[in-house]
Amino acid sequence: MTDTATHPATPRKRRTYGEWLNSKSAIIVTALALLLGLVVGALIITTTSPAVLDAWRGMFHSWGAPGHALKVNFDTVGAAYRSMFNGSIIDPSGFWHSLTTGKGWTNTLTPMSETLTYAIPLVIASIGVGIAFQTGIFNIGANGQAVLGGIFGVTVGSMLHMPTVIHVPLTLAAGVVGGMVWGAVPGLLKAYTGAHEVIVTIMLNYVAYSLLAFALFSTALQQPGQQNDISRTMDPSSQLAPLFGANSGLRVNYGIFVSIAVVIFAWWFLDRSSIGFDFRVTGANPSAARASGINAKVVVVLVFLISGGLAGLAGIVQAASTTPQLSGNFLIGSAGIGFTAITVALLGRNRPMGIVWASLLFAALGVGGRAMQGTTGIPLDLATVIQSAIVLFVATPVLVKEIFRLRNTQTNALRLATKGWSS
Amino acid sequence: MTVADVADAHEVITPVQSGRTRVIASIMIVIGLFTALAFGFGSGSDAHSAMSFAPVNSTNAPWLLGNLTVLTRWTNVVLGLIMLGLGIEVYVRRPKRGVMARFGGVSILFMFALLFWAVRTDGPSQVTTFNLTALLIGSSAATMVLVFGALSGVMCERSGVVNIAIEGQFIGGAFAGSVVASITNNYFSFYVAAIVGAIVGGLIGLLLAFLSLRYLSDQIIVGVVLVTMLGSLSSYLNLQVLTPFPNFNLGNLAPPLPVPLLYKIPILGPVFFNQSGFFYLMIVLVAVVSFALFKTKYGLHVRAVGEHPEAAATVGINVIRVRYINVVLGGAIAGVGGVAFMASQGQFQVGYTSGLGYIALAAMIFGRWRPSGAVVASIMFGVSVYLSYTLQQFDVPISLYILQMFPYLITIAVVAGLIGRVRPPAADGIPYRHD
Repeated sequence: MTDTATHPATPRKRRTYGEWLNSKSAIIVTALALLLGLVVGALIITTTSPAVLDAWRGMFHSWGAPGHALKVNFDTVGAAYRSMFNGSIIDPSGFWHSLTTGKGWTNTLTPMSETLTYAIPLVIASIGVGIAFQTGIFNIGANGQAVLGGIFGVTVGSMLHMPTVIHVPLTLAAGVVGGMVWGAVPGLLKAYTGAHEVIVTIMLNYVAYSLLAFALFSTALQQPGQQNDISRTMDPSSQLAPLFGANSGLRVNYGIFVSIAVVIFAWWFLDRSSIGFDFRVTGANPSAARASGINAKVVVVLVFLISGGLAGLAGIVQAASTTPQLSGNFLIGSAGIGFTAITVALLGRNRPMGIVWASLLFAALGVGGRAMQGTTGIPLDLATVIQSAIVLFVATPVLVKEIFRLRNTQTNALRLATKGWSS
Repeated sequence: MTVADVADAHEVITPVQSGRTRVIASIMIVIGLFTALAFGFGSGSDAHSAMSFAPVNSTNAPWLLGNLTVLTRWTNVVLGLIMLGLGIEVYVRRPKRGVMARFGGVSILFMFALLFWAVRTDGPSQVTTFNLTALLIGSSAATMVLVFGALSGVMCERSGVVNIAIEGQFIGGAFAGSVVASITNNYFSFYVAAIVGAIVGGLIGLLLAFLSLRYLSDQIIVGVVLVTMLGSLSSYLNLQVLTPFPNFNLGNLAPPLPVPLLYKIPILGPVFFNQSGFFYLMIVLVAVVSFALFKTKYGLHVRAVGEHPEAAATVGINVIRVRYINVVLGGAIAGVGGVAFMASQGQFQVGYTSGLGYIALAAMIFGRWRPSGAVVASIMFGVSVYLSYTLQQFDVPISLYILQMFPYLITIAVVAGLIGRVRPPAADGIPYRHD
């Protein structure tokens, strides 16, 4: 509509359904992938919940049994997804209560605050992974880099003592440096020896976990008087304080400004800066980049410094905004933000704003998963399964369109420049 | 150009560049010097080390080898000088072949020097020993799993599909294997478990093939996401099913099947002829995959598809079908590897494969996409995985957590420094679109 308004000379042309689909293709595929992911989750709940299986087992016992089994099935899945929604976005009944009585706003807003708290470091890490993807570099080591960022940042945050205005930036900078140190390794190795970054970064993740355990049991970082793997507590002056005050009960914190700054930086870097342009050319067409005089080695090292630095920043933001110390299970396992960041970057198509929306969605799934485990007993790992399923569907848009019989549409497949081991 | 020419393009051996030879030689010299100085002169003048060879079940042994006791300092100095000599020889002569064999020899000598140093005892008091046979048996468990994974990688990548989901197939196989072996819980349970594990791994391979061959998705992305998915799915099922029903996760170990007579040979017997069925299956698979890839017509097709799918299609090979078959079979092999891991470790636990699938991938790359090379690389990684857990029982002034880094650091060093720019199958990881 706005097109025709601004260019009155062009003849007005009705857009066909197909054209409308094409213009919204990416969004539609993502939405359908989300739906399919939830279907996969529902199937998993159905096939693993004892109550549901019992109901289906009694299917032939009476005429009403199949209907009953279906009801139990839908109730179980519904309860799980409802508690996910209530726990990550808003509980409608609580919201109505707050609205009518003016009380209980803290409880009502807690889910959203938790989702934002979870999303803040996720956005930062995912943008780091996304920038690498746009350059054709696969940084699977974001989790290890975040762990190093956490170690460096908590060291500065707990051992130096100074006013907040200096301490917070210094702590965050230490996190960035930690991530950069860990990111520099695969970057330099890829540039100068040709070692494939996928293997190197995966191995460095495991090295980082051992390093974390080593650091947590070392006299330098271990909480004095503790035998467990727990670090010193960061000074309050180095923590990212809650946005609405420490007594508000809401954990959403000043880290949100850090991630907004990172998003703006990423937009400027990728769309406006000349280095960012070199990055994208390298990712889109390595041989064209070489022909136009872009130094591939410098680009690889720089990508890993930026990507690792952002992952490190995410690690320290995570620590400084939630538990102001490190423990043995900091970012360990498939729930580590570095791994979620890979899927978020893919879902957000490696664009800064796409990553923001994808982070919010995956943060909601993660927080909601925890709420679901609390209320229905269904393990929160289901959220990660759903996330992976969504990304698999997003990575195969043609499949999604075939399932929903969408024809006449272009497919902008997620294309990366990863070309096996030889690149 | 015939199919054979295309398929054998990979076999044209590029001689190790002289610059890289010098780097490898320098590493050997540094290791030699370090061994002589730190492990040799670093130990007391009258320290002794002993190595024993007793098989684990010594009652069955017809004869026992006695302990070998040596003076730690001078043994390690001599070992270090041998490594130094080999390094200097490579540096000066720059031989065209056998550089990696010499490096392997240096690695083995280094391992012995390290163990001699770790078990050294000062003075004539009781001497601690390390049991070489036990060390080899322990390493063989990790090695076996790595060989399964690396073979899976060879199968997939020779046909041009990157299978980074080996870790996921391990997880799937281990989970399914544990449940099936616990449910059946009889003499045949591990045979059934192996079959089910192969099916599960094959299905994961099928999913990878489906998404990357039919829909041309990026293979590395699909693989990484599949690993995340299988990891979290196994964690979910562990809490939802295995915790309330512990009978599904008994953690039985596969019984050893001694080969008559042969298992009594000292050292070799317990390591090679007193293993579970999975070990023998692994050996058979290595032979079968080698033979199938390099001596059969189908293997020729596979290699042609992995090197130059367009040329292969021109002579009538169905590229997509070959890739489907290989990825599914590769997934099945990795699935069996997961069962084998479970059968040697016991109860399924979340995350207990701890990246072995990725190390297997590195073993495949180090082995230059050949089954035989993958076996050698797997032995190296397997020993380092086992040593990192074993060294802590000796008086070693290194933190457990630092030791745990070693297998991963060695993998990085191998991928980065020693093999350099290896050449994978030319079409590896590149989607094929037939028009």
